[in-house]
Amino acid sequence: MTVGEREAILALLNSPHVTAPTRRALLERLDARYARQFFDEAEFGRLRALSVRLVPHDPAEMDLAGTVDHRLHSGVGDGWRYADAPPDGEAYRALLAALPEGFEALGGEAQDAAIPSIQSSHPYAFEDLLAELTEAFMAHPLTQYRFGYAGFADAPEWPRVGPNELEPREVAYGPR
Amino acid sequence: MAPANALPTDLDVLVIGTGAGGAPLLARLAGAGLKVAALEAGVRHPPEGIATDEVAQAGIFWLDERLSAGNDPVSFGRNNSGRGVGGSTLHYTAYTPRAQPDDLKLKTEFGVGEDWPLEFAELEPYYDELEYFLGVSGPAEYPWGPPRQRAYRHPPLPLNGAARLMQKACAEIGMKTSPAANAALSRPQEQPGYGTRHTCTNRGFCQAGCSVGAKASMDVTFLALAEFHGARIVDGAQVTALTVKGGRVTGAEFMRGDEVEHLSAKTVILAAGAVETPRLLLMNGLANSSGQVGRNFMAHVGVQVWGQVEDDLRPYKGIPGGLISEDTHRVPGLVGGYLLQSLGVMPVTYATQYARGTLKWGPELVRHLSGYNHVAGINVLGECLPYEHNYLELSDELDARGLPKPRVHFSFGENEKRMTAHAEALMRDLWGRIGARDVWALPRAAHTLGTARMGRDPETSVVNPVGRSHDIENLWICDNSTYPSSLSVNPALTQMALSLRTADALLDGLKQA
Ligand SMILES: Cc1cc2nc3c(=O)[nH]c(=O)nc-3n(C[C@H](O)[C@H](O)[C@H](O)COP(=O)(O)OP(=O)(O)OC[C@H]3O[C@@H](n4cnc5c(N)ncnc54)[C@H](O)[C@@H]3O)c2cc1C
Ligand code: SF4
Repeated sequence: MTVGEREAILALLNSPHVTAPTRRALLERLDARYARQFFDEAEFGRLRALSVRLVPHDPAEMDLAGTVDHRLHSGVGDGWRYADAPPDGEAYRALLAALPEGFEALGGEAQDAAIPSIQSSHPYAFEDLLAELTEAFMAHPLTQYRFGYAGFADAPEWPRVGPNELEPREVAYGPR
Repeated sequence: MAPANALPTDLDVLVIGTGAGGAPLLARLAGAGLKVAALEAGVRHPPEGIATDEVAQAGIFWLDERLSAGNDPVSFGRNNSGRGVGGSTLHYTAYTPRAQPDDLKLKTEFGVGEDWPLEFAELEPYYDELEYFLGVSGPAEYPWGPPRQRAYRHPPLPLNGAARLMQKACAEIGMKTSPAANAALSRPQEQPGYGTRHTCTNRGFCQAGCSVGAKASMDVTFLALAEFHGARIVDGAQVTALTVKGGRVTGAEFMRGDEVEHLSAKTVILAAGAVETPRLLLMNGLANSSGQVGRNFMAHVGVQVWGQVEDDLRPYKGIPGGLISEDTHRVPGLVGGYLLQSLGVMPVTYATQYARGTLKWGPELVRHLSGYNHVAGINVLGECLPYEHNYLELSDELDARGLPKPRVHFSFGENEKRMTAHAEALMRDLWGRIGARDVWALPRAAHTLGTARMGRDPETSVVNPVGRSHDIENLWICDNSTYPSSLSVNPALTQMALSLRTADALLDGLKQA
């Protein structure tokens, strides 16, 4: 995250366009980092490498793998799972174990080449992990900034909702 | 314990669950002078505490794990049921179409499915009452169904990008559309027991909870009225057992924090939704002489089609479901039919659906998601028939409270498959006409219905036509579990109508006694 990006994000988040509960949630997420607690070190290394290939991002900017580890450690679920699949943590462990030896050290292309086989051998775990990482990615204020998403800045109303009817704060937000 | 915290005693009626089924009757019964209370597993979520952020809002959903089985496993959690004072209405999109008379007569019309044990004429006055009380915004003339006795209280909400695109595409093929009826306010409204509800600010986050009280969730409407009339709502209180003595229900046992407590009442109304209601009944072995508890689980056909356009649409703005068409209410070759709705969408919901629906990953995934501001969606909601093969059972796996997790079996039948294919082709055609690119379809089922159906015959149904269980005289059920068939429209308004009707039946019974 460049200094400019950070400043732009903070400027909108701290503006009166954002309600207090929204600001609280997004500021907390902007810098969230989690200590590994659920996976062991080797598993976590693989998870992080796999995460970067599935949802390309810089782990120094957003801790997507840590978000998954933290969620599993805290025991929070998303309300359901496929009846044929083991509990999330076990399912993810099996998915990671199915990656080839030394996966984290492979080059990007070789890593990508290894992914289809774990997708077909562990379809539910693959889908669940992909969705969970995607959620953490899309919910991150930095992603939202880069995609020009300003929907959280809704403390005033959005009086005009038709195509191309943008408010100044929507036009201005995001990379030029 | 402070007196304000003390549990009520000598209750006439105890209601379990405060959603679309539990809330209206709680207000009605309290208004009639009965001593009533509700136990609600979730907590209060006042509008001013609601963030415009989907992850922060996860707490308004039922997140206890459910097991999804069958060929078309249903996703629960953020996709299906609520938890909190207001139940699923905290996160519903507030679409409020009425059922049409023939929706209640599927068996008569097609020879399959089930008829409802009641007539449209019995629901109609409740629809009129509800649309006014909730403050539904809608068109002056609604093009489908019987002419209405009472006009919508407020003019329609503004149409967002997806709604205008759908309008244009439908016009090209001669399909009628109309601004939808929506229980979100296009003008401020005084709400008895609550105060002034604000006009919708077009923030598009209905599914994460409304931060201004514009949306008619039960907390800012019926529950506020119920409390005004003296009803007690005990929140954070999850019922774990119903207590029974001499063939009558005596009350419910519930957990608040780590404490197990009990409330007794003369009458108990189970309104915990179409998964938790049958789960409680099965755990307690109650009201199941018909063997129908947990049976005939239904979820509306809900396929969505998405695309991206050149225009900057900002799909987070405007009421998510602005435009409707019921021209497909009956389609030759299908049992029942469906309706079309335009779709706005919040970013995280869109992204995770895209990931699950397409299984795209890597740079392709990120590239697609970066076009979020240009996304337009359209979906259908259609009839799902009741089947033997779709049911809920208790699994051997226990949850954190030591109770068996529910396992829900769901597979589309032939009719649902044909309907999905028909609807997807139609929506792809529409989105083709607006020049959408990256068009993709998400096959989907929405809403949890059935599992404790109503009917006249105790051999084949769990409750009678007004919601009283056939087996236990003082146990009533009022939630989506009693739907004998799914209806070709969204369920919440009809559920509220059933709730008022159940309250009136109960009050009539008391008068006669
Ligand atoms: C994303 C989404 C959007 C929707 N949009 C629409 C829409 O636009 N229009 C429409 O008509 N419908 C919509 N619906 C459906 C609508 O919300 C439901 O049909 C309706 O709310 C169901 O009412 P209910 O009373 O059966 O259950 P709920 O409203 O779910 O209420 C059940 C309540 O019981 C509580 N409970 C459960 N178990 C216990 C227990 N053991 N002890 C204590 N309390 C318990 C729950 O916490 C909950 O508050 C939507 C649903 C979803 C998922
Ligand atoms: S769009 Fe309107 S009704 Fe929906 S959450 Fe926003 S303000 Fe509330």
